[in-house]
Amino acid sequence: MPEHETPEQVDGLLEKIADTALDDDYYVVRSGVSEQPHGFNTVLTGVVLAVFALLVAIAAIQTRSDRPATERERETLINDVNSRKKLLAGRETTAARLRDEVVGLRASVGGFDAAFEDLRLLAGDRPATGPGVRVQASPGRGLQGTITDRDLQKLVNAFWYAGAEAIAVNGKRIGSLTSIRVAGGVITVNYASIGAPFEIRVLGDPDALEDRFAQTVVGRDWERRRKSAGVTFGVTRSDDLTVEAAPKSRLTVSHAQALKGDA
Amino acid sequence: MIPVIGLALGVIAGLVFQPTVPTNLQPYLPIAIVAALDAVIGALRALGERRFNDRVFVVSFISNVVIAAFMVYLGDQLGVGAQLSTGVVVVLGIRIFANAAAIRRRIFHA
Repeated sequence: MPEHETPEQVDGLLEKIADTALDDDYYVVRSGVSEQPHGFNTVLTGVVLAVFALLVAIAAIQTRSDRPATERERETLINDVNSRKKLLAGRETTAARLRDEVVGLRASVGGFDAAFEDLRLLAGDRPATGPGVRVQASPGRGLQGTITDRDLQKLVNAFWYAGAEAIAVNGKRIGSLTSIRVAGGVITVNYASIGAPFEIRVLGDPDALEDRFAQTVVGRDWERRRKSAGVTFGVTRSDDLTVEAAPKSRLTVSHAQALKGDA
Repeated sequence: MIPVIGLALGVIAGLVFQPTVPTNLQPYLPIAIVAALDAVIGALRALGERRFNDRVFVVSFISNVVIAAFMVYLGDQLGVGAQLSTGVVVVLGIRIFANAAAIRRRIFHA
């Protein structure tokens, strides 16, 4: 028997494996039953080989059919991601559009909200036009003839009483925060200096304004001063008067806050 | 002739029926094939050395496949399935190469 047929002498696991690569049974059977036919061309061998071929075929087919499934899964995932991205982009576009719409609506509120516009008109935030009376006054002689800030205050106040809806003194619109005062000997309205002659435009019902103003103490006082001190004072009716808007600085509220629940 | 017919029949059967391996058995199929390949290469070598015996071939084939599959199964249960699979593949691979080398030596005398 050749050397390589006695594998027990070899040391080392891997070498032993390599040396005993052929199952010992082949040697045992050979020595036990001598001169027996090799028996290769038998049904048994054929069956075993058929099983082997079947195994290989199954494995190959399985691997091959699994691959498309994996690829399909991957493609589905990619499509999913893409569709979600598209959805996200669509949503973002919609969000941007809605945001623009909100901005536009906010900006256009001033142009469409009637109640808001009335309030702006009332507050002197918008130029106004309509019927009313025009008052012209110029100083006369002496102390009595001097027109002071207090005189103008009383005049404006008397017209508010008489039913004025908008008043402008020398073009300075009287707003919610307007003051009429004297500073350095000069009368200021809305912190802007004015001087004689004074022209006061009052919007409202001309008849009511004229009649009710004439009955007030202020109206009578001015009438008296016109006669005694040479003050120029005239109230003329007009059907088409225009007053400017009050300056923004006189319409801005920064500290007062509306009470909650008092809409 | 019969072995060749058996081989062809196995391939044809696999292609025609396309049986699907149950998911539980799928990890064992590659190992079983390597083990079977070892038995087949060993048989080829034995054939060349005129020692072939069909009963030995059958027994070695079946035992190879079963033991290899069982080892992988055991490894899976112990949580070292991948390592045991590698071990089985290495051992069987060495055997396959050794047998193939023996066949080559016999055929080419080199």
